[in-house]
Amino acid sequence: MSEWQRLDPRMLLIYPVKELVRFLPVVFALFIAGTASGGTGKWWQLLGIVVPIGLGVLRYVTTRYRIDAGRIELRRGLLSRHVLSTPLDRVRTVDITAPPVHRLLGLTSVRVGTGTTSIGDDDRIDLDGLPVERARQLRADLLRVAPERVADETAPPEQPVLVFDPTWVRFAPLTSTGLVITAGVLGLASQAVNTFGGFGRLHPERWAADAETWSVWVAIPLALVGLAVVVSALSIGGYVVNNWGFLLTHTGPGRGGAWHLRRGLLTTRETTLDDERVLGVSVGEPLGLRLAGGGRVWAIVTGLDQGASGSALLVPPAPRAVVHRAAGAVLRTPGPLDAPLTGHGPHARTRRYTRAVGPALLVLLVVAVLVPVTDLPVWTPILAALGVAVAAALAADRTRALGHALADGHVVVRSGSLNRRRDALETDGVIGWNLRDTWFQRRVGLTTLVATTSGGRQAVTALDVPEPLALALACTSNPQLLVQFLE
Amino acid sequence: MWALTASIEGLVVVSVVVVAGPVTHWLPLPWWVVALVVLVVAGYVAVVPRWRYAVHRWEVTGTAVYTQTGWWARERRIAPMSRIQTVDHAEGAIARLFGLATVTVTTASAAGALEIEGLDRTRALLLVDELTLMADSVPGDAT
Repeated sequence: MSEWQRLDPRMLLIYPVKELVRFLPVVFALFIAGTASGGTGKWWQLLGIVVPIGLGVLRYVTTRYRIDAGRIELRRGLLSRHVLSTPLDRVRTVDITAPPVHRLLGLTSVRVGTGTTSIGDDDRIDLDGLPVERARQLRADLLRVAPERVADETAPPEQPVLVFDPTWVRFAPLTSTGLVITAGVLGLASQAVNTFGGFGRLHPERWAADAETWSVWVAIPLALVGLAVVVSALSIGGYVVNNWGFLLTHTGPGRGGAWHLRRGLLTTRETTLDDERVLGVSVGEPLGLRLAGGGRVWAIVTGLDQGASGSALLVPPAPRAVVHRAAGAVLRTPGPLDAPLTGHGPHARTRRYTRAVGPALLVLLVVAVLVPVTDLPVWTPILAALGVAVAAALAADRTRALGHALADGHVVVRSGSLNRRRDALETDGVIGWNLRDTWFQRRVGLTTLVATTSGGRQAVTALDVPEPLALALACTSNPQLLVQFLE
Repeated sequence: MWALTASIEGLVVVSVVVVAGPVTHWLPLPWWVVALVVLVVAGYVAVVPRWRYAVHRWEVTGTAVYTQTGWWARERRIAPMSRIQTVDHAEGAIARLFGLATVTVTTASAAGALEIEGLDRTRALLLVDELTLMADSVPGDAT
């Protein structure tokens, strides 16, 4: 495979369209300028269409790749030629994405993850437009899983660990994703309405006048219910589009294999994570999901961009039993998920309470002082008092969540209330330790222990661990490392 | 060096407050607020650099690097030699005034960079060489 290869010729259909879309503002501007100048210069209006198409074709002609001498090389560009080259053993992940148009033509786009921290688009190895078969072949070549898979073709090569179940959709409205989507949609809609002068025509004053005839006690619940319905519908839609047909499989022998993820309704995504690069899992249980008995799992994996954390999602919001089984399978031991956690003691609890209740109390005080002085409505202090109660409940929950353990070679840390997470990280995946303590923390003998790692969020943080416990945890997981610095 | 940096920062804050307050009447600040700010800044300049210096320490052994930085929030960082990826040597404008340098040791984790500030320049260069050699001699790809 030493000769240079091109992308699939069918990309000749896609690139020009893509470029055209990118040049749309310019095309518009040219068009408007053309009509404004009286339609004399017809030929240069065409320029706006010809140039993008030409660029698209050029991009196809100039992009080539090859695998040679243990390196993958990608060459592109006409005027400024760009050659990217990476040793094969630095390839950590392979992401195969197929947007709807690509799927129509039987093409995919391959992204090779090498664990680099550079962010520039130019520095990524993206092969946009390979036929599905060739993309799979390339992936197998890149990840060296291929020989093993070919060798034991008779044995069942793929064991599905997780198969999507449509009933999981019920968990979709319980995550914050729906809110984010709704906010985005509402923002877009209001902008669109604004652009077309819609607010002038809709007569919001008349709406307000209409609403005034209703009772507040009817209008507010009605608005809330309406919002809830919209949010649920949108989040269910997002969930289905992203996670339809979710499939998690494992190939290859015990530890040397790889994990394959496949998902998506319109745009299908396939991600392959090399076994050695999966350092641990992170089980997320946001409040809503937790109450409904659900959760989701991310892999802590090296080589994925931080921005592409979606690729590392191992289990979409799903029932707890499923989450537990899949996470256990990825870790190869359920130990880290079940292990009892060591609590962080009374001082950590006090800190949770002061940090949550303190600001709420301050707000209450300020409001209480302001009510007699200014003409604030009387119900504001009541609202503030409610805030204090909520803060106290949050603090209690946060305290309950805090904990850490060392189980089956994994550092396990749990924290958070609204967004509770349980991270399990292989001790081998821990790069270094950071111990951070403010003066307040030192006074009560607490420290925040951070295990740095090269995957996922780059760090696993244990909040407010009593100092001796923190040192014990760090020392037992990396025996020789810390001892030499302990005075 | 820290004292000078702190002094400059403090000077900027004070001048901003003075200009914003009584001089231009842009912000209606009474004189005692200005006095308070000056007092706080003076205290900061007097105490914090010394505090910082007292906390700041570093150590290199055969297998790991250790730093301790900060003043109010103290941070101790430990990175094993086998995980070191790059060793940077940098000299800021103020640091060069004093012939000092900063050595930054990065690992594969974005959360794990160790910074040793305010080293004597020759010592820093020695340290960089030493660390590079030691990191080189350990096999593996440091992730």
